[in-house]
Order: sequence, then C-alpha cells, then structure tokens
Amino acid sequence: MRKGYISKDKLMPWLGAIREKFPLIAPVQEDGLSLFKEVEKVEDIVLDYGITRMPPKDLFFPQTEKMFRIKNKNNMAIELETPEKITDELVLFGVHSCDLKSILALDPVFTTRFPDRYYQERRDKTYVIGLSCTKALPTCFCTAYGINPTDAEGADIHLTELGDKYLVEVATDRGERLIAEVPGVVFEDVATLEAEKEKLTQKVRGEITSVDLTGVKEVLDENFELPLWEKWAQKCLGCGICTYVCPTCHCFDINDFNRGDGVGERFRCWDSCMFSDFTRMAGGHNPRPTKKERVRNRFMHKLKYHLDRYNLVGCVGCGRCVQRCPENIDIRAIISDIKGGV
Amino acid sequence: MALENPLLPYIATITKVIDETPDVKTFQMVFDDPEVFEVFKQKPGQVAQISIFGVGEATISITSSPTRTGMLEFSIKKVGRLTSVIHQMGPGMKVGIRGPYGNHFPYDMMKGKDLLFIGGGIGLAPLRSLIDFVLAPENRQDYGKVEILYGARSAADLCFKYDLFDNWPKKPGTKVYVTIDRPEEGWDGHVGFVPAYLEEINPNPENKVTITCGPPIMIKFVLQALEKMGYSEDQVVTTLELKMKCGIGKCGRCNIGSKFVCVDGPVFTLRELKKLPPEF
Repeated sequence: MRKGYISKDKLMPWLGAIREKFPLIAPVQEDGLSLFKEVEKVEDIVLDYGITRMPPKDLFFPQTEKMFRIKNKNNMAIELETPEKITDELVLFGVHSCDLKSILALDPVFTTRFPDRYYQERRDKTYVIGLSCTKALPTCFCTAYGINPTDAEGADIHLTELGDKYLVEVATDRGERLIAEVPGVVFEDVATLEAEKEKLTQKVRGEITSVDLTGVKEVLDENFELPLWEKWAQKCLGCGICTYVCPTCHCFDINDFNRGDGVGERFRCWDSCMFSDFTRMAGGHNPRPTKKERVRNRFMHKLKYHLDRYNLVGCVGCGRCVQRCPENIDIRAIISDIKGGV
Repeated sequence: MALENPLLPYIATITKVIDETPDVKTFQMVFDDPEVFEVFKQKPGQVAQISIFGVGEATISITSSPTRTGMLEFSIKKVGRLTSVIHQMGPGMKVGIRGPYGNHFPYDMMKGKDLLFIGGGIGLAPLRSLIDFVLAPENRQDYGKVEILYGARSAADLCFKYDLFDNWPKKPGTKVYVTIDRPEEGWDGHVGFVPAYLEEINPNPENKVTITCGPPIMIKFVLQALEKMGYSEDQVVTTLELKMKCGIGKCGRCNIGSKFVCVDGPVFTLRELKKLPPEF
C-alpha cells in the first residue's frame, strides 16, 4: 500500500479535479439527511457525517432497476432490448469502513456463479474512496466484526483526516490508476501521520459500543429453535426498514411493467424477507408463515448464513437497522440474548 | 451467449399443448434460435424460469428428458397469476426461457441400482425427466428395475396418462403402480394415499434408490415410510419446491438456512435434508 498525504486546503480542489473527469458520488446533506448522491459542486460534500441514512449499495444495486425493455405483439413476436453497457467510470467518495466492508460482503453474491451483469458493470467502473471515521455514534458497533473505523479494506484509496492533513492510502491498482489520472497527493514519508492515525483509531474504537460475538455462531449452528425469536417477533412490525437500510441485504423481486400496448419493461426492485408474502408460493404454501420465522431468518442471515455461505460477515455493525427500527429492535440486544442462551 | 446476462431470457415458441388434467397442461417449446439448445443442455431434475412477457416469470421444472432433443416440455399446473395466463396460450405463441437452474438428480450415483419413483400430483413432472432419461435406450442398461408409484386426487387428476398406462408399463423391467385418493365410479385401480400404498407394496430397500416428488405433506409421510422400511438416508432422494425469482442465488428468496434451493437444490438426499432447518 502506497501512502502519502493531501493538505486539508487541497482536498476540495483535488475532489474538484476528480469531478471534472468523472461523475462523483459523495455524501451530501439533503433535507437534514446525509445521503450518497452525485454532486454538482464539491462544496456540497459533507465530510463529518456520522452515517448516511442509506448505505452506498444502491450505486451497484439500485432500489429499482430496469433489466430490459419488452416489445410484445400479442405474444406472437417479442423483442427484448437490454440497457446499454455502462462504459463511464465514476468515483464513489467518502465511504466509511463499515460500508466498505459491506461492499466486499455483497461482491460474492453478485459476482460469483452466474455473474450479475448489472451489478458487475457498475462495480467494475467505480473507484471507491474511503474515509475514516473521526467519531462514533451510539449505534456503531463495527469492531464486533473485527472492523476498525479507520480500516481501508474495500477502498481503492482511503483518506483519514489528521489535523491539517489527510493521510492517503492507495490500496489497490485501481486506486493507483485514479491517482495517476488526478494528481494532487504528496507521496513522501508519512510516519508521523501514521502514528496519529493509530491514535485516532484508538480514540474512535473507544467510543464504539463493544459487542462480543464469541460463541454466537456456535449457538446458532446448534440451535434453530430459540425462545428469543418469538420474543423479538412479537415486537417486529414486519415493516422491512431494517432490510432496506442494511448495507449487506440483497433480496430483490422481479416484475414486469406492462403499458398495455405491448410495450413494457422487466425490472427488479429491493424486496424484504420480513414481508409475509416473500416466500409464499402460488399454491399458498409458505415455509415462513409467521413473523417468528421471518425475524429468525433475517438475524440468522446476518450472523450465520452469510458466514456459512461466503465466509464473510453478513452484518458490518453500521447500526442503521438499530437507528431506524420503529420498535427498537436492536441486533446487539439479540446478540446478547443469543449469548445468554435466551 | 449463455452467461453474458443470466437474467435475460431466450425467446421460445410454444409448439404443442397437451391437456393433462383439468388444471395441468404440458407445453412443448422450442428456442427460436436453435443454437440455444447447444448451450442450454439441461440435466434431469433441473428447473427453468418461464417468462410471459408483460406478466412475469415463474420457476417450472423441466419435464422432458435431455434424451429428447430439439424441444423442452414443461407441465404446468394452474395455481397462480402467471400459470393462469400461460394456460390461455397456444401453439405459435412466444415465451421466454432462462436456465437451466439448480442441481440435478444424481443419475451417476444411481447407476447399477434399482429405482423407485414416488410421485404425487404435479410432482410427477420433474420425476418424468429422470424416468424417461433412465428408460431411454442409450441409458437403460445402466440401471436395474424401474418402479413407478404415482397417485393423484382423482383419475382425472392423473398427469401423463399416456406414459402411466401405455408407455412406461410396456418398457422392459418396469412396473407402474397408480392410485387415487378416493374411490370413484369407473376406477378399478388402487385407491388410497401414496404413503399408505407404498407401505402396502413394501418395496425391498436392497440396492435401491427412491426418488420422491409431490406435495410437501406427501413427501413428509413418504420419507417417514421409507425410513421405517429400512431405506438409508442416502437411498432417499427428493426435490424441494420453494418460491424462486432469480434462479441464480441472488434474490435471497429460496434460502433454507445458508442454502439456496435454486442453485444448491432442488434435489436433496434425505441425509442432506436432515442437515437443513425445517423451513420447506
């Protein structure tokens, strides 16, 4: 990993130079929410956000996405038109370590075995620039999964704000390509900055709620039935918000839109395993008929299934589901229940 | 051409529609681009996504054996929105097909063994792909005796009557048992549920593999009966039906534990089934 720095007063000009060459997606403030959006002016970028309302996953896996256009003449002649291949590169800036890790957790879902063209193309064309956290929120618990709030893992380039400079870590060849394209980083000895980064890491780690996952996977490996699922299901409204704000949830539905004159399109959109009809079949059989099975499925997915399948965490401790749940269902309390054998 | 976009269906034309029962029809289909047959190459037990454009997609098991080339058959029961629409469609009409998806019946492991097929209702559709594969002249010598036990609610609800009563019983080393749930006028065959008939026949487990597909309740009791008769967990093969959308292990709908039925199933041995959480 090559390391250098950029002075604080040079950061916006550098981002401006990136903006000149590529569409730039970065956290901005809108209606009181921080969101990843394409920025018009780099001055709109928010650098000290806590956590964005929504994770950056929709950049690769949009909430609603057209798969192809359909021209259908009474089922006697069909023409399908797929969207143009994505050729333009873009830059995603300002991603915190938990969200970086979540992109890595989504990658094998979409890119291995039947690679998903729609996801893969966007992923291949995106430079990801990470940004270390400088303060933690009460809902943060990334360290439970071995993630540091200053980790560069998953970023092509990673920035950490330290005094009047940003430490710049170029983590991948793709990052090197972007640096070559948009110069501005000073590559010289950064030992002092690295030491400062270590101090920052310790400070932010100290602010993060400590959650110990020891033994959780083992309990779930052995126990499908636990009373806690019924307990938490009684609170759950089945609204699905936890799955929508989750950076690693990837469920989707596929539907056809039909304009009525034979022209339509097939699209996919985010779906949620918390919805009662998610697994209900045409004949009426539903393998997860009550909220208990659905709540269990979601948390098992986060804490066990994703690990079993991809050997990658299914939760990154971003805390969005904790923030947004209208019933205060808190995965940290569920973890504690599992550990307590409740 | 196959892998560039696995979510894009191939266009196919319905060439023939066979009325099986009051609510099941078999649709014969051919790809409009014959080269697709070269890449499609399904194995017995696999499924496909059938598109009615403007309506949507449904996961349907492939009924025809890969030994019958140049066309595909899907036997579809009218149970929902899409299947109701396809039941209105006829020869010449266009559909989409993508796949084949899922694993397949372990026909290599079955070589040299006697086979017992146990089907209920539309559950005979996926079994038929393997039955015809095994009975095809080029494969027949690889397998021992073939027994087929099949039941439906009534005589009218029996699928593939031409196979059950004409085709399969005439093949060498093959025996077909047919039952219906309740007695009815004009039926002089067996009456009773499939698991009970199975216990009545009491087939010897020695050197035998059973392959079961049917409604979840039938599968449950058939598996119990087979264990009681002394079949080991590896001798019992079944297929699971779960709601699937993408077919390629991404949409998250058909998971049972950490397995996705669309890529890790739909075929499981009883040994594998017992390792899964009971959510099917």
